[in-house]
Amino acid sequence: MSRALDDVIVLDFGRQFFTALSAAFLADFGARVIRLDALPAQSVEARPGPVRWNHEADLIHRNKESLALDLRSSQGQAVLRDLVAKADVVVTDWQRDELAAAGLDYAGVTSSRPDIVYGRLSGFGPSGPDADLPAIDELAAARTGMMPILPQPGQPPVYTGSGAMHASVMMAFGIVMALFHRRVTGEGQEVDVSLFGANMYGAALDLQAFLAIGKGDRLLNPISRLDVSNPMSGALYPSADGRWVTLTMPDTDRWWPVFSRMVGIADDDPRFDTHDKRTETHRLELIQALEQAFQRHPGAYWRQAFMDNQMSADVIEQFDYPASDPQVVANRYILELDHPSFGKVKSLGFPIFMSDSTARLERLAPCVGQHGGQVLHELLGYSAETIHQLAAAGVVA
Amino acid sequence: MSKALEGIRVVDLTVWFQGPVAAQHLADFGADVIKVERPQGGDQGRGVRSIKSLEVGDWNQYFLVINRNKKSMAIDLKKAEGQEILYRLIEKSDVFLSNLSPELLANWNLSYDKLASINPRLVYATNTGYGRFSTASKPSFDMTVQALTGAMARLGEPGQPPIYMGMGSGDAFGGIMSALGIMLALYQRLRTGKGQYLDASLYGAQLYLAAPHLQSFLAGHRESALQQSRKQVKNPLWNLYPTRGKWVYVCEPNRDDRFAAVGRALAAAGMLRDPRFADAAGRATHNEALIEVIENATRQLGHEEIMASFKREGVIASPINNLADVIRDEQAWRNRYFMKTYCEEVDRDVDVRGMPITLSKTPGELRCLGPQLGQDTELLMMELLDYPWEEIEAMKAKGAIP
Repeated sequence: MSRALDDVIVLDFGRQFFTALSAAFLADFGARVIRLDALPAQSVEARPGPVRWNHEADLIHRNKESLALDLRSSQGQAVLRDLVAKADVVVTDWQRDELAAAGLDYAGVTSSRPDIVYGRLSGFGPSGPDADLPAIDELAAARTGMMPILPQPGQPPVYTGSGAMHASVMMAFGIVMALFHRRVTGEGQEVDVSLFGANMYGAALDLQAFLAIGKGDRLLNPISRLDVSNPMSGALYPSADGRWVTLTMPDTDRWWPVFSRMVGIADDDPRFDTHDKRTETHRLELIQALEQAFQRHPGAYWRQAFMDNQMSADVIEQFDYPASDPQVVANRYILELDHPSFGKVKSLGFPIFMSDSTARLERLAPCVGQHGGQVLHELLGYSAETIHQLAAAGVVA
Repeated sequence: MSKALEGIRVVDLTVWFQGPVAAQHLADFGADVIKVERPQGGDQGRGVRSIKSLEVGDWNQYFLVINRNKKSMAIDLKKAEGQEILYRLIEKSDVFLSNLSPELLANWNLSYDKLASINPRLVYATNTGYGRFSTASKPSFDMTVQALTGAMARLGEPGQPPIYMGMGSGDAFGGIMSALGIMLALYQRLRTGKGQYLDASLYGAQLYLAAPHLQSFLAGHRESALQQSRKQVKNPLWNLYPTRGKWVYVCEPNRDDRFAAVGRALAAAGMLRDPRFADAAGRATHNEALIEVIENATRQLGHEEIMASFKREGVIASPINNLADVIRDEQAWRNRYFMKTYCEEVDRDVDVRGMPITLSKTPGELRCLGPQLGQDTELLMMELLDYPWEEIEAMKAKGAIP
């Protein structure tokens, strides 16, 4: 079966989780992704106790090959130039001065491959005074304005990490779009996605609201869960067993007759019998009434009640829920796999289903340098003798 | 300037947020996106008039931004005649995208099999709630799905309620995931000439919102599922601290030289002499004590003062800004993350979220904000679908179009 990126070769030398994950998404859909690991290898600190599964590597480097290369030597530089000449895409998150020094900046790369698609994950974008600040998601998130308003009042700001995940997917999207354009026109280009910009997309509605309105305490300060704008939407209530319940029913008129019965409030209770009363004049009273009501039964009871009434509401779960949810396995969002060293394990799977380009787990993360010989021979056409010499000189491993 | 998606036509049968934002990414890069809406009221997102009890302002920024660069046709797809119009549109299109339920699409004779029989090159994309192979039948909204992923429950200080990542956070993420799937299929089609079916669900995407932590939990690290206090992070040099003004986020590795730099910046000589913190292992072991010591120092100072000291010592840190700061952030404007554009509804320029993905030769463009309901129906029927005027009149009489 053909796969989406069958004809694409990616050179991945990102350092961070989310950059490597971006390249893994391309590999999942058929791209040949060669991970460039720098030599000499950094010594890994031996940890006491049994060796544990490197679950992170098996997610972010799955389906990739590895070539270990010493970029400091002129021979290593020559191999790199040959590699770049064969690559369609590079993915990186290095600082610009590091890239230039290694000959891996856009100018350097296009001298051997003019039509390359050059993907770089940056901290704050390609232009402006902060273009060279490091690509650290916490820094970007701190600048984006959402951290102070996520928690309850009086609590410290909250870092979620979701901005980096947005950046991962945006980078993969930008690269495939640039590949599409290249295939049609022959023209390559640079793709920049920054953690700053991606965090802003995570802060989609609050940020756009503030851009449009330019003021509003409720967008600058945390809102107590006992002061939400709509008691039936965006609200959180504890149930009898301490599990939290959340509701998203902005159109309260539609749901009130069923909902009120479910929580034990008369549907013609004059305090709450119109949308305006529920969300404005008697809003706080309704929040308190629901706070009481949800404490009458445990989370499981409410989940069933929501389901029976087809309500947009649910119980807030921890990771054990998706980890054991049969729907997740059926959709391959989480894979159950037989690890050669660690037996049966579960690992995050594929968030996109494609009927004719099924994502596959063809291999787990490579060992550093595992595919060196193969890449040099198959892709670059080096002779066995040359490869042997390079290995003996410590240029590849 | 050339456009990356020149010549790609997308039929956008989506409502609310996830689907529209997926199509918006394609429209920004030059795809011809035609939003198809029900004649009565259109996309429900048009009705959003308040956010957090705040008036959205005098223009509907909820709808107009994520539907920018699009055209709109109003078609009653419950009627067979309406379906006929859509089929004709499908013949001329490359992508069909919908976040309506597969059952509803089947009822309207808009299943993948049906549309692929009309146009085998069609990329048919859905945004289901819980996945193509799911038996769950319940409504799916951003926050109720985020609730299931476990991503909310691990945020915040221990004992605090779970934390939602912001309005539209999960939808926005599902949207870009969907756009990625569509691009993969379009790229594959350049070689194979064939379309395919794809799905990016809200649940599947959001499981990746906390990917490092969920993966760690799957590997047996149970604590990854739980709230962690900022007072107990393993490396006190990578943490957030209160000041007299804003909080600051310090992002330094646990190394002697970086510790010394932080200590100098905070003029905390005692901390630097404390034998418990003399090396990395000590700082990790006595992390709670060190966090307290650093916090005692930062609390004495304003954030501007601290940031100036950090800058002098080369310490990597940022004040934790609010939305009023970010909308004035020069870096955001310079990179076109924010843009100004004309808004017809209020007859003036307004500020909108811009282009988070920068393509150097085919940059995203903002041509217009979201369309009026059905504004392009007749024109597209005449010019794109070759309907004679009498047939358009007949369609109106039958109520297939308004």
